[in-house]
Amino acid sequence: MVDSAALAVITFQSTVIGLVFAALGLGFNIVYRVSKSINLAHPAIVLLAVYVTLVASSYLASHGLASLGFALGTLVAAVVGFATGVAMEITIARPLRGRPPVALIAATLGAYYILKGVAKAVARDMWTTASYRLPGISISLGPVVVDATDIAAIVLAGGTLAALIVLHRFTRLGVAMRAVAEDPYGASAYGLPVKTLTMLSWGLAGLAGALAGVALASKTGVEPSIDLYVLEALAASLLAGLDSVAGIVVGGLALGFVRQMSNYFLMSWLPGFGDAAAFILMLLVLLVKPYGLFGTERIERV
Amino acid sequence: MPAGVFKERYSQLMAHLRYPIHWAGLVAGLALLLALPLAGSYAMSLAIDAAIFFVAAVGLAVTTGLAGQISLAQGALLGVGAYTVAKTLEFLAAHGGVPEGSALLLIPAAGLVAAAVGLLVGLPSFKLKGYYLAMASIAAQAVLMYLFQRVIDPNQGVTVPDKAMTLGGLYFGGGGAALYYLTIGVAAVMALVAANIGRSSIGRAFKAVRDNDVSASIVGIDVAKAKALAFAVGAFYAGVAGALYALYNISFGWDAFGLDTSIELLAIVLVGGASRIIWGPLLGVLLLHTGWSLLDDVVSGLPGVGLIGGADTVKYLVFGLLVAGFVVGEPDGLVGVLRRVKEYFRLWPFSY
Repeated sequence: MVDSAALAVITFQSTVIGLVFAALGLGFNIVYRVSKSINLAHPAIVLLAVYVTLVASSYLASHGLASLGFALGTLVAAVVGFATGVAMEITIARPLRGRPPVALIAATLGAYYILKGVAKAVARDMWTTASYRLPGISISLGPVVVDATDIAAIVLAGGTLAALIVLHRFTRLGVAMRAVAEDPYGASAYGLPVKTLTMLSWGLAGLAGALAGVALASKTGVEPSIDLYVLEALAASLLAGLDSVAGIVVGGLALGFVRQMSNYFLMSWLPGFGDAAAFILMLLVLLVKPYGLFGTERIERV
Repeated sequence: MPAGVFKERYSQLMAHLRYPIHWAGLVAGLALLLALPLAGSYAMSLAIDAAIFFVAAVGLAVTTGLAGQISLAQGALLGVGAYTVAKTLEFLAAHGGVPEGSALLLIPAAGLVAAAVGLLVGLPSFKLKGYYLAMASIAAQAVLMYLFQRVIDPNQGVTVPDKAMTLGGLYFGGGGAALYYLTIGVAAVMALVAANIGRSSIGRAFKAVRDNDVSASIVGIDVAKAKALAFAVGAFYAGVAGALYALYNISFGWDAFGLDTSIELLAIVLVGGASRIIWGPLLGVLLLHTGWSLLDDVVSGLPGVGLIGGADTVKYLVFGLLVAGFVVGEPDGLVGVLRRVKEYFRLWPFSY
């Protein structure tokens, strides 16, 4: 059977990937809370951020700042992610408020194309598989070897999750954002700047996507099809419930474990099943419990 | 076009061809389509490609435009049709040989297999709608893609045998004139059927479900049946298109049936205009699919395109701007634009 050392490694890797998926899914949930729509351009925001980091860090490395390259590149990507989120709110979400879901789905698909084009234009000749230049450190904890990619992923994904969950739960700004998400008319009656807060939410979703994307890419490597992982993260969002922010940690970890475990244990019968496992999980959640574990059930009145 | 309505019988009002300009357009269009092979093999292969995507887009227009069920799995259903043809012929070749012309018989069969798969893809629609349904179809697309990659076609590439595409001395493969007339004929028949679906009781049930499924069930429409049927019909069209795709490409792999294709088909339907199930997809295909094929080489040659990462970058940007722009600015799509142009000329030169 499986020996305990291998199991420890798998568990650790599942946790890391799970945290990354949780951070990736966070963007979907934040946007869903305020705009009641799925942002299908989120994968492209991640793609853009991943390549912005690559380009920025290699630019800095060529100017003698190799040691700071990755950190500064991540910072640039975070700014780009925030700005993209804000821009999407202004150009797409705001004019389409109150239109049927198909309109927003289509518009965000349009934004997906645009951002993919921008990412390709930014990357130019770097539009290939690559990996970030990370310091070659590694720590051994028993059988588990933690290297720089794991540390980068844990710090970025965990940090993003912690910061945004704390922001949402415990700050005045978070309370205001929750109020807007729950009842925009009521919130504006109390004098809250609903438009600004909605815009800020989209910006934070973009920021979360950018940081999570860099975490993902430092783990899996930079590749032009990295946006497909973000669609898998949609399963984590759904499992948690699309309007739950803190629940995403549970959803992400569950997805990470399902994915890695099925990859490991089903390797000989169903190769690469982990890629499909996320989507099968998604279908199961949609069919059995569409509002997720922590989401609020919407009651439809006619 | 006359200014008033001079219809005396219901059948006149319901006819597809109501005005002299319709007849003139039909004759001109038919003449153009019949004469197109004279324009060379490049024009013919462009037209075949456009007709294949048109059939798939009409199917999606029935599912999404008429019945309001968002589907991002149409690309994978295209693949189901294509693989039905290729894999059945592979099986026949291994068990006693391929009968002549059998690929042509498999076209409706591919439609039926895809319709059955489409029913499965549409199952979540009984419980879900809107965003949740879109996500379910993305998941179904990904699962089907996994099956293509790992189970059905692990070697990335199948070939339709030449003998299966030959019937009575005519070769229905590649970009030849025989396949051209077959594809155009199939597309015309399927478009006519789709146009009539919208006028039948089934089509009215679809529209009722699209506008409000709860009210539809209150007036006695079987909502589950209507949704299932909408997915099955849309998938049937995708399956037939996939079979034609197999004939046209002869050799193909699963990379053509990914989420990109599904998104492109949805973009075609929405940019063209989801409110008209024939004209919308037709205009969408001509603009987004054929238009791009024509412009691809031109754009690649433009100075400066290499600096921003090649023609694909321009394609993504133009596609994205078109889709987002139409959804935000003109929800009726190209059809809506044309309608306004038509209204303008109806009153011209005495517009207000």
